[in-house]
Amino acid sequence: MSSDKTNKDLSDRLLEELQHGLPRGEIPAALFGNEDIYRLELRNIFARCWVFLAHDSEIPAVGDYVRRKIGEDNFIVVRDDDGEIHALFDACRHRGVQVCRADSGNTSVFLCPYHGWSYDTKGNLLGAPLWKNAFGDMSKEDNGLLSVAKLATYNGLIFATLDPSAPALEEYLGGMKWYLDMVFGLNEHGVEVIGPPQRFVVDANWKSGAENFSGDDYHLGTLHRSAWSIGAFPVPFADNMMGYHIQASAGHSLSLSMAPTEDDPGPKFFAYPDDLARTFNTSRLNPEQLRIARRSRVFVGNVFPNFSILCVPMTDDGAHFPPTGVLTIRIWQPMGPGRVEAWNWFCAIRNMTPMQKERVYKSGLASFSMGGVFEMDDTEPWILAARTGRSVSAEVLDLKLNYKMGLPGVGIARREENWPGPGVAYWPRYEEGVQRNLFRFYSEMMRAERGVWPKFSVD
Amino acid sequence: MANPAAIAVGSEQYSRIVEWLNCEAELLDTGQDRKWLETMVSKEIVYQVPLRQTVERARGTGFATTTFHLDESYGSLMSRVLRNESGFAWAEDPPSRIRHFVTNIRVAQLENGQLGVRSNLLIYRTRRDQTQPQLLSGERQDVLGAEDGALKLYRRTILLDLTVIETHNLAIIF
Repeated sequence: MSSDKTNKDLSDRLLEELQHGLPRGEIPAALFGNEDIYRLELRNIFARCWVFLAHDSEIPAVGDYVRRKIGEDNFIVVRDDDGEIHALFDACRHRGVQVCRADSGNTSVFLCPYHGWSYDTKGNLLGAPLWKNAFGDMSKEDNGLLSVAKLATYNGLIFATLDPSAPALEEYLGGMKWYLDMVFGLNEHGVEVIGPPQRFVVDANWKSGAENFSGDDYHLGTLHRSAWSIGAFPVPFADNMMGYHIQASAGHSLSLSMAPTEDDPGPKFFAYPDDLARTFNTSRLNPEQLRIARRSRVFVGNVFPNFSILCVPMTDDGAHFPPTGVLTIRIWQPMGPGRVEAWNWFCAIRNMTPMQKERVYKSGLASFSMGGVFEMDDTEPWILAARTGRSVSAEVLDLKLNYKMGLPGVGIARREENWPGPGVAYWPRYEEGVQRNLFRFYSEMMRAERGVWPKFSVD
Repeated sequence: MANPAAIAVGSEQYSRIVEWLNCEAELLDTGQDRKWLETMVSKEIVYQVPLRQTVERARGTGFATTTFHLDESYGSLMSRVLRNESGFAWAEDPPSRIRHFVTNIRVAQLENGQLGVRSNLLIYRTRRDQTQPQLLSGERQDVLGAEDGALKLYRRTILLDLTVIETHNLAIIF
């Protein structure tokens, strides 16, 4: 490569290679480490797409707030006096100082520690010391905390976007809504988070988490082999590959481990307890959704860009407790091309008994947390992939990563023409179309002009 | 400051606790997790590392009471040991280099006859060719009691000096 190539040329070239390589299942490795690509992701993806901020059960009362991030920047997610949720950019309008000093809490006022500008829970400027002398007739209305462009919730999940041109959340989620209902809307009670999130930082690229949760089931047999050897997971590797890969909507993918028939003796409804499963009703779900949820053993999915969901049968102590359904949600918060902060929440269905909640929490923590028997192995390859991503050799030798599984002529996966849900489905799960779907939308967003949105259909 | 139940530094009982903690650290630093579990830990163990958040001073220390980084029983600790023996525990094979530094040991007699032991803990860890160590600092709050003539760990709570953990996993015993 010639020495006069600028960085801009390189990131442009990588995006072009991505666009042209995707139909063949080829992705340049440098996407997982290039600094300019990362800067562009912050602007074109995180400052435009709907991103997950919080679950509404985290801020149940008036004045409750949590501090969250969009891209690398702090936002205050707060419930105001009228019960409305806001996401306020945490930067005082006077000198830009952060006014929220804790990860969570309850307040009626956010006070800037520098000169004392204060704001209410809607972000309105209330005043500043010696206001008349200092600011006299200046309008307060124009000096409130800046807000996200749009905020909306779906099944208790709070999302926001900084882009006023973004489509409504429901349009952005598209077909993914149908599948989110199968996890977050199994009954009229819905879910709640169990406590504050676990947060940990790893030297990896955020896309490694997002693409893994888009439906990388194939890694279980090798990376997570130890989990079978201790009896933590009840479905054998080859059986667990049975199921569907679904491109629900542009960018959003999921994977369902499913029994071949409803009579299969294996776990039903992700191994949620039977008495709980009897409360899963059709008032919120249509019969097809319920039928698919009943046959499902594992749900793993990613809402583009970085919100992941996993519902899976697990146990912390196979000798004493059978596996139970565990629901974890997480975000892969970008901190640099080779650095990601994972935020990890465990969720319970609200009408679980205290004992069921305890089993869910303990089993989840022991499997899918940074000290869990599954997850502690996951960070290892992601760290190594990021190392390759930022390597000069990957760039000079033009290393393309292989995302070909399930392409015509590669493996046994076939499109399921009669799939009852939205999107495009493949059976069985020897397939990487779910990841190609993520990268296809990623590729389009990275090249899109401000104000322009790619199409959301996946056909 | 003086705790009436405190066991004095230099006493025979205090020395016994120091020896116990040193022996434990040696087992954990040398990869003998199974021996640690089978010889030093009670079957009734409650082993917890609570989550912590940054909160305003008026709201206390920020430790969560219901959510944890680790919340282990004897069975789940045994699962970890078995996992590491499976030959497929990539997170710790090759293993990290780990050293436990245990200081500021304070021992008190509890009303039920067991011993409350608090200490400061610093874990130094390197992985692969890392030159910058991963450091985890915190307070151990242990309860030790006699079982079959030996001192066993009944309860361990680790209060970390961190809210966001920067270590690639928690495949370690505090």
